[in-house]
Amino acid sequence: MAERSFTEEVKKLRAGEGEVFKGEGILAITKALLQSGVSYVGGYQGSPISHLMDVLNDAQDILGDLGVHFEANGSEATAAAMLSASINYPLRGAVTWKSTVGTNVASDALSNLASSGVTGGAMVIVGEDYGEGSSIMQERSYAFAMKAQMWLLDPRPNLPSIVDMVGKGFELSEASNTPIFYMMRIRGCHVTGEFIARDNVAPEYHSQAPVTPNREPEKIILPPFVYQQEREKIAERLPAAIRFIEEHALNEIFPGRYDSVGIITCGGSYNTVIRALQRQGLADVYGETDIPIYCLNVAYPLIPNELVQFCASKEQVLVLEEGQPEYIEQGIQTVLRRQDVQTRVYGKDIMPMAGEYTGQVMLEGITRFISEASREDIPLKLSLEVVLGTETPVSDEDISRLMAELPPRPAGLCTGCPERPLFSAIKQLQEEMGPFHISSDIGCHSFATAAPFNLGNTIMGYGLSLASSSGMRHALPHKAISIMGDGGFWHNGLTSGVTSAVFNEHDGLLIVIDNGYSAATGGQDIPSLVEPNLIATTLDSSQPKRDSWQTIEDACRGAGVKWIRTVSTYNIAAMKETLRSALTTDAPGLKVVVAEGECMLNRQRRVKPLIRQAVSEGRRVERARFYIDPETCTGDHGCIRLSGCPSLTIRENPDPLRSDPVSYVDNSCVGCGVCGTNAHSAVLCPSFSRVELVDNPTAWDRMLNATRVRVREWWRVRDRKRMAKRQF
Amino acid sequence: MSRNDGTINMVIAALGGEGGGVLTNWLIMAAEQSGWWCQSTSLAGVAQRTGATIYYLEFMPRQSDMPPPVMSLFPAQGDIDIAVASEIAEAGRMISRGFISPDKSVLIASDHRVFGITEKSATGDGSVDRDLILEMGERYGRAFIHFDMSEIVQRHGTVISAALLGAIAGSGALPFEQSCFRDLLSSGGSAGANLSAFDESFRQAQSGGVGEYVPPDIKAFSLPVASNALGERWLPRIADLPAGLQEMAYHSVNRLIDYQDEAYAEEWLSRVSALIDRDLDRESCSLAHEAGRHLALWMAFEDIPRVAQLKVRPDRESMIRSEVKAAAGQPVKVAEFFHPRIEEVAALLPVSWGSALLKSQTAKRWLSRLLGPRTLRTDRVSMQVLLRGLASVRRFRRSTFGYAHERKMIDRWYDAVLSADEHDMAMAIAALGGMVKGYGETRYRTTSRLMQILDYVEHSPDSDSSAITALQIAAMEPESNFEPGRAVSSSPEPA
Repeated sequence: MAERSFTEEVKKLRAGEGEVFKGEGILAITKALLQSGVSYVGGYQGSPISHLMDVLNDAQDILGDLGVHFEANGSEATAAAMLSASINYPLRGAVTWKSTVGTNVASDALSNLASSGVTGGAMVIVGEDYGEGSSIMQERSYAFAMKAQMWLLDPRPNLPSIVDMVGKGFELSEASNTPIFYMMRIRGCHVTGEFIARDNVAPEYHSQAPVTPNREPEKIILPPFVYQQEREKIAERLPAAIRFIEEHALNEIFPGRYDSVGIITCGGSYNTVIRALQRQGLADVYGETDIPIYCLNVAYPLIPNELVQFCASKEQVLVLEEGQPEYIEQGIQTVLRRQDVQTRVYGKDIMPMAGEYTGQVMLEGITRFISEASREDIPLKLSLEVVLGTETPVSDEDISRLMAELPPRPAGLCTGCPERPLFSAIKQLQEEMGPFHISSDIGCHSFATAAPFNLGNTIMGYGLSLASSSGMRHALPHKAISIMGDGGFWHNGLTSGVTSAVFNEHDGLLIVIDNGYSAATGGQDIPSLVEPNLIATTLDSSQPKRDSWQTIEDACRGAGVKWIRTVSTYNIAAMKETLRSALTTDAPGLKVVVAEGECMLNRQRRVKPLIRQAVSEGRRVERARFYIDPETCTGDHGCIRLSGCPSLTIRENPDPLRSDPVSYVDNSCVGCGVCGTNAHSAVLCPSFSRVELVDNPTAWDRMLNATRVRVREWWRVRDRKRMAKRQF
Repeated sequence: MSRNDGTINMVIAALGGEGGGVLTNWLIMAAEQSGWWCQSTSLAGVAQRTGATIYYLEFMPRQSDMPPPVMSLFPAQGDIDIAVASEIAEAGRMISRGFISPDKSVLIASDHRVFGITEKSATGDGSVDRDLILEMGERYGRAFIHFDMSEIVQRHGTVISAALLGAIAGSGALPFEQSCFRDLLSSGGSAGANLSAFDESFRQAQSGGVGEYVPPDIKAFSLPVASNALGERWLPRIADLPAGLQEMAYHSVNRLIDYQDEAYAEEWLSRVSALIDRDLDRESCSLAHEAGRHLALWMAFEDIPRVAQLKVRPDRESMIRSEVKAAAGQPVKVAEFFHPRIEEVAALLPVSWGSALLKSQTAKRWLSRLLGPRTLRTDRVSMQVLLRGLASVRRFRRSTFGYAHERKMIDRWYDAVLSADEHDMAMAIAALGGMVKGYGETRYRTTSRLMQILDYVEHSPDSDSSAITALQIAAMEPESNFEPGRAVSSSPEPA
């Protein structure tokens, strides 16, 4: 059950010939895959392509009707290996992941696939997580395309182009026997628009129409074939690709009246180029341009003929290529030098080497290009000075005043998150035992490295925390501590981490956070997900209830771990004790603590409708939330430093003698209980109460309540009278 | 508003989980129904909450003889017509990023605050200056429409996206009919709440967000007329104090009588009088004000009887009920989280018993079985009886170990304030009184660091007020090792 349901949107996937399809870029790609007669799809979730996996997941019946096979793969390596189906058979296949991290994970299979070559079209849709809004280290997928000889498509970010390029991409893949990267930038994935749909096409082969098994030894990656494959890449596949790209005009040339200059841009940046030209009065909103543009919808390989043709008549061209190194610019220079074309090529000499080409960067770059090229004949609406000035109209003084007042907003754990009490426990333990070095991992729990927990030293990759602690463990004053999510555990952690650690007699602690889902990527299901009504213990109980399915605990035991404890994260005292004993025990080998607690976002989605229904059916329901006494709160905010819950916030102190704000629980509280448990285990203060509201009270509830209310009311009247005398 | 040659560009800054995506979808539909092109894109990030998220939309009228326009996916500085922020600091962030151009951008924001983690986790007041952002919004926006949309949606029981849509519609920045926006909200489960929030927000935005100007309540404090014997005794004495101290003194005296008795308040007043005589700031008596305030707070320190007293206050129940939105007559249970420690019990005993208890390992071991984390249902009659019993122990307070301990620290601080020979120095030491905060370990940390600073002051005759203030700031950093330059004497035991 993912964060976002696409049940409504996927109905659009049935749209037939001529219908107008409206929606997000990601949904359009899914439709394009179906229109292309794809036979199998797969992938691994991660922004910005999580929704692609969610859409495919929610579209199972449509895929089933067509005979398209779908798998939510265990990792990107699994997904890449799936593409081997296209090596021997004319099966079109597509997989997707977040890049470059996913590409790195998949690289072994991808390299071999690229060496073998494909018969059916094979496409990897990579969500290029680069620039603002990215959540990973900044690298380009381009390097992988070059070194493995896979073609890289980077279409213009409008729905018709996106959809068209999927179909063309499959054809290109088949024409050149080469797997293809289809690159989508973050904003392109989420862009909305419309295109004219075509009918879906059922794949030629599926469960009802199987292929005839066919062996082609020359496609296996063993000597001597690997040398042939390397030669074939250059002698056959590359020329075939170039021929196809030229013949089908995958790259576009937009002519303009200033014919002696030009801009070469990747498709993904085209819209930003047009906007910059438009602001300079050199293009209109429909894309009519005065400066000729050569738009590389295929970013790799470059097409020498097209480049020479475009550049030959130009004195200067500007290459617009996001990120570093400037592979495309280097490639263009090589092509032009070999052909002895003397066009001056501008690129990273006047454009920023690193970072996104935003609207402002593009406007500055193009303006600088025209001025560097000394093209006084080209009138600019805005001078370079004006353009540089638009970067911010705010004065330096105001900026510094403003920056001092703007609170940073790092992504943090959600209200009621089951990981919060775990980190509260670790933080409390750290106060007792001294500073910890913690190997962290990818997932929601990565946010524990930020305020208010400040726990965690390194993040090496998905499921790699335990592995990354192994070089450190002999040099630490405490047993090595690694924290991993359930997603990371199944993705990679079990093999790279647990198995290797057991084999190497790793005397350290691994905490696996089991919240039931791949939560950080949008709450997708994972192998250890259990039936919703039985899912990991949360608020309902302090004891784990699971016993009858494939669990993380079983997997660890299977890998040879002897010391395993499963603890509910919400039981902070038990968690502290378990972690303490794991860190102090003499028992040899790896110690694994499975920290259980259902993802609160998913839980709320699951439980809220049930509660609403129960209340409306007249059943007795208790709802809890927390409350802080503003009279006893002294405003030291110790509770917040141990929690960071969004619903635990501050507000003005009602006490006329105090000035610091008091802590305050707002109405988004889900009553997870961590505030109270922290107040207990960290001996915080007596200001926290759990307030339970009873809906549809029974007769007994009402009677008991009425009695209590009456007694308290008697006291209240008496106290008011007394206070009236003691106050003035 | 609309430019003939281009698009209307709009950026929306929201916080994760606030419904920025829903708002964007409404805007897309409004554009569609009005015959406009609309392209949107987002940096919604991942599923987690609290992070800032950005949505970007461009609008343009459809023309039947023209192809689809080429729209940008990036908000660009100098190219934003409408900027929307769901919270005022996010509006500030857009200004800081240069998205608000004085000649062009209409800035629409809810001016409530959602505090960031660094603001919340400070030991004192770490919140940012909202007025500064409001002032900049006025200065840098072509128009700046702001009001508290959070309050509106809470009142109507819906989410902020509905009020934001109302504000966008009411601002007139988009050339779509009001009915077109309203129709979008009129289906679904929360249609009623959404529509009323939309309408109210629409009206406020139409009047430029100013609404009816209500001047802030800044009338000077005046002492009430005596209504009982107590008031007749005390009010004239407070009225004799310098005007700037009267409000503080009024609250302090009332608090201390409530906390202990009139003699206790008398003691406070005599100390404040000494401060007034000593105060070089004759005009506003700033030293007496600052030190007097902290003195009253410290003298009314939160021991078990005090907490019990506050927990059975007659108005507390109605406060909780309104805060959790309990329906009339709905049963509400209140479970309080207490964690009495040996130290707090010792604090309640006579001086010699208390110190003996803390020294006796056997007694501590036995007692600790009875103490520790307790969750008590204070809506129950039995717990009310217990709390009232504990509250009544306050009459013996002066003879307790805890009182003696606090008293020693209070006296030490007060004497340091009084004996400082410069005004700035006295002010800085007085401000140290604000460090006394929290319970248990936190309280121990804050008070012992305060004592450490006083040690430092004693041992460094040439230290100045700025050094003390710097030490105070460092001491309020909870996760640091605090060592004020010099060696310090033994820190006090926790109370």
